[in-house]
Amino acid sequence: MDSLPQELIDTIIDGLPLSTLLSSSLAAKRWRRRSQQRAFGSIKFLSEAQVNRWCTDVPQDPEGIISYIHVVRFQDIFFWDDPATFGRALENLSSLTKLWMVGVAIPNGLPGQLSRGQVGESITILCLWYPCSTLATMASLVISLPNLEVLSVVGAGIESEEPLSPHPVTSQRAPLRFLDLRGNIGGIGKALAESRFVSHHLSLDIQIPGVEQLIAISSETAVNLALYGVLILRFFMERE
Amino acid sequence: MVTVTSFLDTFTQEILHFTHPLSLPVLTTLDIDLGKGDSPPCLTSILRSISSAPALGSITLGNNGRFNIGHSFQDLWGDMDRWLARVAEHTKAQGRLSVILKRWPNGESVSEGFLRDFRRAGGQVKTEVCSW
Repeated sequence: MDSLPQELIDTIIDGLPLSTLLSSSLAAKRWRRRSQQRAFGSIKFLSEAQVNRWCTDVPQDPEGIISYIHVVRFQDIFFWDDPATFGRALENLSSLTKLWMVGVAIPNGLPGQLSRGQVGESITILCLWYPCSTLATMASLVISLPNLEVLSVVGAGIESEEPLSPHPVTSQRAPLRFLDLRGNIGGIGKALAESRFVSHHLSLDIQIPGVEQLIAISSETAVNLALYGVLILRFFMERE
Repeated sequence: MVTVTSFLDTFTQEILHFTHPLSLPVLTTLDIDLGKGDSPPCLTSILRSISSAPALGSITLGNNGRFNIGHSFQDLWGDMDRWLARVAEHTKAQGRLSVILKRWPNGESVSEGFLRDFRRAGGQVKTEVCSW
């Protein structure tokens, strides 16, 4: 075993089922790091209690397990007893690239927590599916991630509030690679348009307020444009 | 026609309003998936708002159910045909511009007269067969 090159061990571990990674991490010292990297590459929280246990039980050593985490998914956490818990779970995840929320309350303070730490800079993919949040908080969250490449917002009944002052995109921000907006997402499309978020690939529900502006401001960069759920009958009216 | 017109009032808020014709210089693919029902008018409305798309290589069209050209919209398909023909004549993309009809009924062929001007301009009409 000792004579095996590390690359070969890593290749073996990469082929193991996820359910065996705990065992493989205990097989030998040289097996531990790669096994843990795979086991903790993507993690999911389904309750605030799980998040709390993570914060208290897992060592927050920046070189340790938390440095292996690239994807975090929060799901079905409709409210937080302590809203600061959300940000605490994220604050030391320096390798995090994808933040995925499905049916999760976004505390008002989260954008500020992210923009003050390193994690805000490392996130390139943000998925907000059925978020429980105000429009202002969602807009602030998106703006707080300066290196965002992929943004997906899917929702029904996002609380809308007017007016929302635009957050101008900094001139350094590159076009998104992919912008995906679907369902009843309130004014988030309009807010993104007013903040001049442009993208190379756009997948848009045509009923979203602001969809025309989003397409228009991306006219120079759009390589793929997908439009869904069209229910326009205006042409008939014009012809009458 | 009367029925459709009365239906309109409910959905006027869902109409696209572009203040200027759209020029999309690097657009290579356009995918439009219609809502339920027969709604080629909206399709025409979207396409007509695009003034220029010189790099366009394919346009994929579909609706929620199986694709249905619909006999009641022949004149509107004619409008779209003319728009597509103009785009096909001006495309710089390698190969010819394709229109792909999604979820096409298995075993049915597209009528030769469908998008005739577009085909004459070098465009191709393809289908993706519906498997359900």
